[in-house]
Amino acid sequence: MLALQLLVNAVALGAAYALVALGFVLVLNATGAVNFAQGDMVMAGGYAAVVLAGSLPVPGLVLLPLVLLLTAAFGVVFSLIAYFPLRARPPAAVFISTIATGIILQNGANLLFGAEPRAAPALLGGGILRLGAFVLPRQSLAIIAVAAVLGLAQHWLLRRTQFGRALRATAQDREMARAVGVRVDRMIAASFALATTLAGAAGFLLANQFFVTPTSGSDLILKAYIAVTIGGWGSLAGAVLGAMLIALFEVGVSAVLSYEAAMAALYAVLLALLWLRPQGLIGEAARARA
Amino acid sequence: MAQSSRSLLAAAFAAALLCGAAAPAPAAELAIPILVPVTGFLSLEGQSQRNGALLAMADAPPGLAIRHPVADTGVSPAVAVNAFEKALGEKPVAVIAPMLGTEMLALLPLALENKVPLVTISGTAKITELGNPWIFRFFPGDNVVKLAQARYIAEVLGAKHPAIIAQSDAYGQSGQHYLEAAFADLGIKPVLSETVDVEVKDLLPVLSKARAAGADVLVPHLHAPATALLVKQASALGLGLPIVSGSAMATPSTAALLDPAELKGVCAESASAPILPTAPAGERFLAEYRKTFGGEPDTYALAQYDGAMMLLDAIAAGARTPAAIREALATRSYRGIAMTYRSDGAGNMAHSALILCYDGTSRKPRIARRYDDIVALK
Amino acid sequence: MKRGSDAGRGALAPLLAAGALGLALYALLFASPYAIRLLTLAGIDALLVIGYQLIFGHAGALSLAQGAFFGLGAYVTGILGSAAGLGFLVTFPLSLLLPAALAALVAVPTLRLQSHYFALATLGIGQVLLLGARNWDAVTGGANGLAGVPGVIVLGIAVPAGLPLLALIWAMVALGGALARHVVRGPLELAFLLLRESPLGAAAIGLDGGRLRLLAFVASASYAGAAGALGAHALRVVSPDVLGFPVMVTCLAMTVIGGRLRVAGAVLGALLLVSIPEWTRFLEGAYLLAYGLALLAIIILMPEGVIGVLERAGAVSRSERPLPPVRSRPPPQPAKAACSECRLDIRGLAKRYGGVEALAGVDLALKSGEILGLIGPNGSGKTTLVNLVTGVDAADAGAILLDGAAIAGLPAHGIARRGIARSFQAGALSPSMSVLDTVALARQAAERRLTLGRALVAGHGRRAFEAARGEAMHLLESMKIGDIADRRCGELAAGLRRRVEIARALALRPRFLLLDEPAAGLVTEERRRVADDLAALASEGLGLLVVEHDMPFLMPLAHRIVCLDRGRVIASGTPAEIARDPRVVAAYLGTAAPAAG
Repeated sequence: MLALQLLVNAVALGAAYALVALGFVLVLNATGAVNFAQGDMVMAGGYAAVVLAGSLPVPGLVLLPLVLLLTAAFGVVFSLIAYFPLRARPPAAVFISTIATGIILQNGANLLFGAEPRAAPALLGGGILRLGAFVLPRQSLAIIAVAAVLGLAQHWLLRRTQFGRALRATAQDREMARAVGVRVDRMIAASFALATTLAGAAGFLLANQFFVTPTSGSDLILKAYIAVTIGGWGSLAGAVLGAMLIALFEVGVSAVLSYEAAMAALYAVLLALLWLRPQGLIGEAARARA
Repeated sequence: MAQSSRSLLAAAFAAALLCGAAAPAPAAELAIPILVPVTGFLSLEGQSQRNGALLAMADAPPGLAIRHPVADTGVSPAVAVNAFEKALGEKPVAVIAPMLGTEMLALLPLALENKVPLVTISGTAKITELGNPWIFRFFPGDNVVKLAQARYIAEVLGAKHPAIIAQSDAYGQSGQHYLEAAFADLGIKPVLSETVDVEVKDLLPVLSKARAAGADVLVPHLHAPATALLVKQASALGLGLPIVSGSAMATPSTAALLDPAELKGVCAESASAPILPTAPAGERFLAEYRKTFGGEPDTYALAQYDGAMMLLDAIAAGARTPAAIREALATRSYRGIAMTYRSDGAGNMAHSALILCYDGTSRKPRIARRYDDIVALK
Repeated sequence: MKRGSDAGRGALAPLLAAGALGLALYALLFASPYAIRLLTLAGIDALLVIGYQLIFGHAGALSLAQGAFFGLGAYVTGILGSAAGLGFLVTFPLSLLLPAALAALVAVPTLRLQSHYFALATLGIGQVLLLGARNWDAVTGGANGLAGVPGVIVLGIAVPAGLPLLALIWAMVALGGALARHVVRGPLELAFLLLRESPLGAAAIGLDGGRLRLLAFVASASYAGAAGALGAHALRVVSPDVLGFPVMVTCLAMTVIGGRLRVAGAVLGALLLVSIPEWTRFLEGAYLLAYGLALLAIIILMPEGVIGVLERAGAVSRSERPLPPVRSRPPPQPAKAACSECRLDIRGLAKRYGGVEALAGVDLALKSGEILGLIGPNGSGKTTLVNLVTGVDAADAGAILLDGAAIAGLPAHGIARRGIARSFQAGALSPSMSVLDTVALARQAAERRLTLGRALVAGHGRRAFEAARGEAMHLLESMKIGDIADRRCGELAAGLRRRVEIARALALRPRFLLLDEPAAGLVTEERRRVADDLAALASEGLGLLVVEHDMPFLMPLAHRIVCLDRGRVIASGTPAEIARDPRVVAAYLGTAAPAAG
């Protein structure tokens, strides 16, 4: 009984983490750089939902596309400030610029909204769904559904459209993509927009049950980083798998052991994985090039 | 030429690096710097602390000229010490010191060295256990409020199997420690005592463990978001257990996150209840606070207001030097809005606690019980 | 360019010295306790960053453990100092040693990881330590940490807080900075540069990259431990904050903003990042916002850090000053007579990549003084063969014998040290290194002069490197490319680069030299020169394996030619025999090969 509820909660949390991690991988593939502000983008998405809900009394489902649009635009602006001026530099420079962006976002939110936790509206109404003896939070189910739709939409976009092919070509070999006429800069900006959109969606979804505060995004980046490493650096499917694994430890393992033991176990698994399978769960075998 | 202009640049650079340091202070007024954590994870409570102090400064007895620069202490002892060293440049007669325990531990030896009284609302028990004569805490420590919390659970609810759920940081560890001690004092053994990281989102696992352990009351000692989440998830789960929370649940902004129905059967300890004034002074404070800051005051704001007011009262009564102020704070008694403050010899000024309970129809609690003159746990 | 940056560095020295003197005078005469406190913090951070430059700047590995090592150092001092009551002379060395030991321990599984995995694995160290510090109450004081850490007391004499402690900490910074500079500058700096820009090239001259990275990692950890210990003494408390990720972020930001390689950059970065949030304090609630904006502005406007901007300013103002001339000198005679009867035997060598059979049991033999040509169509396994013999890739089966001793399975740098040198088809030079340094570094490596012990003893800079540079100059002149000695490899045309690679390989004094397409992309004149070089080398007793497509180049040069097709030897013989062999013709023209006899 309880095991099923824990599983649903774990999958919902994992789905939200997966959105964050997917955005992280998109930028990583397009630019080779680590976006350390990805967690704070989640926080920004949460506040976008809170603010929109304050002025537009419509259901959460209607707000969602608005939040997505807003965060997409924000992603483009973000890339113009924190990535394009640094594109010719080593990846560590972008690492720092995104850290700086994160500091700006956190403290900007603290100034604008204060430090009180805020709650975003539920997607399909709050409360719980009773299926016989099972008690399932509606929002958890909504998170799973939205994340699945967004994940599939992204898969379709990348695999089935001309835009997606151009995006993938850019990720694989920028010079080659440029040579065959892909507008590489636009593709990179689009990757940032997609990444912040996914983060924004996660922020909206998480801010209902778990609330949003100016610092609530900062721990997500570590989780995204770990998810992506577990899954295989650069692998989209791996990122989802890694995110689910983290949530399973956080919600599942910690129901048996203590939280500390669950987290320690997660790091132990992580280290073992790096030792045994340095390429991640789903990742090409790293091969030295001659 | 280019060379010399660069040397100038370097000199300017070196000078600019340190220019923030040397602002001379005018002599006529007294300085009481307000050092509080207004950024980072404790900024919610820290902003309340600042607001309480600022309101007191605005209400200073007529004729007192007090300079009260505000500086952030962030979340780390190093930043707090920076702010303190800078504040020392103002030759302060006293300092409103941050409510974060780890920061206070770093400031204590500096206060001793520089002979400056610290007025704080930090709940960390340890800060008054080090024999430092310069610390004055206007908030009941965990060794006081946790006793009230445990007594309410044992004596009013009659519960025998509490489940303690605490945050894994300094705040949580201190609460957990004194809850365990208080229950032991009452002859009760908690069926669960677990800590939860601040980063943890979902609290279903720990709730399920509490249920499996046969708990008859949930005793969370968590920060505001986690407290609200715990109440929400416990309600959704239909556990039907009473919850007697740490002070976070007594805060209006935490209650605002929940539906009134979810709050049924939820209580919280608190040093005071500023939104439930019992006397004209409390009503005036509530109105002033709402007007100045556009929000509801919490217990930290009121405690810091009272603390700063006692400080100003001592100055108005003639204590103009740090030593005189220390003496006054250590020996006098002050009737504040929340309670009457008097040092126990170690700098603990507050010895009262309230239990507030929600009835499930509104987000406004009522005072269920008041405990005065609590003898602190060892 | 090379000259410019060196001149810039030179011009900067008096400026930096003046700045340092100014700050010292300020601290002594005018500084408030608050300014002294900030300078103290900056000194601690500078020490942390100087260490981080070793692993992140020089070794080029994104370690996220520097904050954890800092915290560990702080806790060692905190626990031993406050609980056990031990003095500075005991706690300080232990605060250096324990992080270093932890670094050595975790380096074993993590240093071989690719960059981002390494970053995460090192980040995990900090997270685990943080969990431990928070929950191991009895020893660490739990989340509250430990109060009452004693000040610095040496032999009964207490160093009080304020100016004396500030002086002690900056003395440590000066000492640590001087030590880092002493050890790293000169040949070791070049070795790290090659390791960063071309790991294959580094292995090819016998540099053990893993060992160099390990050294840098362990050294960086002890700097961090020292900084942590001093931080604990300065703050008098240790709490889990010292292990938090913000410490690591600040350290990284200081390094990138100050500069990754120069000690002066570490000091400037630390001073700047300690000061900016204090300057913006007057903005109250918005001050960290301003800090973030300032950080963003600096990273965008100063690509090479503050020190890079200053250096460039210095370089522009000083006219380009040529490097002091290098006196060419012949290399000393080797102790052992040059090998005249060496053999390199390859037996049954096989390798698969996924489903593709790159080599399917190849036999080859090469003797001293012989030029063996290796030909075959694209994808026939020629480069794979060179990679297997030189240890860049591991063979699936077969034996490689150098004078009868098996060398298969040795790492690339080990094989290079045994006397098998190579060039690369795509080139493996460091683009920003000068030609002279490139060859001299190989000389230095060949003479085993690139050890830590030697770096510690022999001192820094060019002097320790003078002999190798002279010998390198001699080698370049003998190849008639002495005139490009101070050009950067990245600026050279393909032909010259090829010859620099050959010169670098020869600087190792190899017994065998494996060349992967030495004539590709060269014009006729350049090809002739390379051919002349090779013929002369063979006549001196070097055994050469030349992978080549260019038959007019190879035919007059090679003594024997072997032809590969789809991973098998299909023909071997004299150039004349090969040219007539129908199987070779068929393989190249793509017609069906007649049944092999």
